Amino acid sequence: MNTIEVRDLRRIYKTTVGVVRRKIKEVVAVDGITFDVNRGELFGLLGPNGAGKTTMIKMLTTLLIPTDGTANILGYDVVHQANAIRSRIGFIFGGERGLYWRLSGIDNLRYFASLYHVDPEVTMKRIPQLLELVGLSDRGDEKVEGYSRGMKQRLHIARTLLHDPEILFLDEPTMGLDPVGGREIRQVIRDLQSEKKTILLTTHYMFEADALCERVAVIDQGRIVALDTPEALKQGVSDLSVIEIEVFGVPEEVMNQIRNLPFVDTVSVEDLDQKQALHVHSAKGSEAIPPLLSALESVRVGKVTVREPTLEDAYVRLVGGKV
Amino acid sequence: MSKVIANIRLFFQGAVLSYIALFAWLRPSTYIATKVVGPLAQILFFTLMGKFGTSGESADFYIIGNAIQITALSGIYGVTFSLAGDRWNGTLPYLFGTPANRMTMFLGRAVIHIIDGMFGVLIGFTWGVTLLGLDLSNTDPWALILVIAVTTFSTSGLGLMLGSLSLITRNVMFINNTAYFLLLVLSGSNIAIDRLPSALQAISNVLPLTRGIASARAIIDGATFRDVRPAMLEEIGIGIIYIMFGYVLFRWIEVLAKRRGTLEAM
Ligand SMILES: Nc1ncnc2c1ncn2[C@@H]1O[C@H](COP(=O)(O)OP(=O)(O)OP(=O)(O)O)[C@@H](O)[C@H]1O
Ligand SMILES: [Mg+2]
Repeated sequence: MNTIEVRDLRRIYKTTVGVVRRKIKEVVAVDGITFDVNRGELFGLLGPNGAGKTTMIKMLTTLLIPTDGTANILGYDVVHQANAIRSRIGFIFGGERGLYWRLSGIDNLRYFASLYHVDPEVTMKRIPQLLELVGLSDRGDEKVEGYSRGMKQRLHIARTLLHDPEILFLDEPTMGLDPVGGREIRQVIRDLQSEKKTILLTTHYMFEADALCERVAVIDQGRIVALDTPEALKQGVSDLSVIEIEVFGVPEEVMNQIRNLPFVDTVSVEDLDQKQALHVHSAKGSEAIPPLLSALESVRVGKVTVREPTLEDAYVRLVGGKV
Repeated sequence: MSKVIANIRLFFQGAVLSYIALFAWLRPSTYIATKVVGPLAQILFFTLMGKFGTSGESADFYIIGNAIQITALSGIYGVTFSLAGDRWNGTLPYLFGTPANRMTMFLGRAVIHIIDGMFGVLIGFTWGVTLLGLDLSNTDPWALILVIAVTTFSTSGLGLMLGSLSLITRNVMFINNTAYFLLLVLSGSNIAIDRLPSALQAISNVLPLTRGIASARAIIDGATFRDVRPAMLEEIGIGIIYIMFGYVLFRWIEVLAKRRGTLEAM
């Protein structure tokens, strides 16, 4: 038995559109997904906005009924044995909501401890430990409304550890945090990993997935397009090198021209402050630079570098330029 | 740890914390002022209006009616806000992701408001006696307290039902104001029930508060608790029915949200 077993899971949302002539619109958010997560593994779910990651996590945390397929957590069915699962898992959905803003951090934790039936003596001992773990020891008695976004997200992590769950579902735990805040949360996740918790993580930060996850599944439009270790996924694009070109405003026809060059595999544009960075994947390496520069003749060009592919490059190739 | 004890703890902890969360923005002094001055304003306003107005009721009629009606402030506004608070805070997905007993979670939100409501009514009576000359010399105090307790319970039952409703509508204040206004008009606090058209009397009959106010008036007039016992049993029944409706609605909201995927949208 695997810790998490997902078989052909599907979820369709029905929404009504239009005010006068109401029509039912169907969105297939998760479209037949199958995977397993082993005990103690840190597994990443990656994919562009709207790929179905949050929908997946909601179904696994018993908060959403699947349209089709099955999912078992520790051998319990997410639909029919929801309560057995709930006391054994913890989850957070990224962002600041989901806490009582007018209560102190400690009072929030106390209430959730009783919702999870944690013994009061255990609660008394665990709250200071958890506040320590997430770096909120000296702010725990303050009202949550005065917390920064990062503090709220860390309090969420403490909240979800109160009942010492075996499995954690972390949906974008570092969403919207500054680099330091993100790093602090990643350290907490590493600590949890060393305590042998099974963790399912979603993130839009590829370096984060690369640094933390043992295996990742890339999903796009509700389907798995790749499932492997980060190393293996990078291996898949090792034939390519990545040429990064700083440009200042590229017209769309120039982009199309570059896309159509025979040696160019994919191109993605990253918006930087005043400029953009083109990430061109090509098997030709530095030899590709002269023809690229001549294609960019009409555009102001800055620094040009060639580097080894990263997980992000593998990802971009899989989901076709969307980030 | 036994399930029962865990549930009792959850019940009271939820009660206290949801109450603190609701009033945490008030300083203790402001809080006391609200709780002491509020009842005075309500009683004075309606008593003076009733006395100098056209109706032929005695001042006591208004003092008692409005003192009991004060319980609806906590029972309706307090209780609905502590449930609606979960919607505002976005805590519903997290609550519904716990294994906690939903009944305990639900009922816990009303407890402190029941105590708070009784406290408000007692303050109302204090003002009635000290400022407006309400005569309690003929009154069995324990019977009166019992009537207050029962009425507060049933009104909070209505509050729980409206609280469930507040999870699926954006118009919490509209629902609350309508309910409070209906009680003001139909419970007999300010208009004698027998002056209402019979269609409205039928509504009065299924509202909480109506029997409580009538019973309080009878007790202050010298009746014993035995005299009002049937009415009080009905009042408890009405409270339980509202709580049951509210609870069924609360569960239904959870089930529906899990089917439709609207847990955050609420
Ligand atoms: N409650 C809902 N009702 C209708 N459609 C929904 C609902 N929730 C999600 N969807 C749709 O389902 C699809 C998958 O959404 P989901 O939130 O699972 O994506 P995601 O991978 O988590 O995206 P993101 O990276 O932006 O968080 C999207 O097309 C989204 O619009
Ligand atoms: Mg998401």
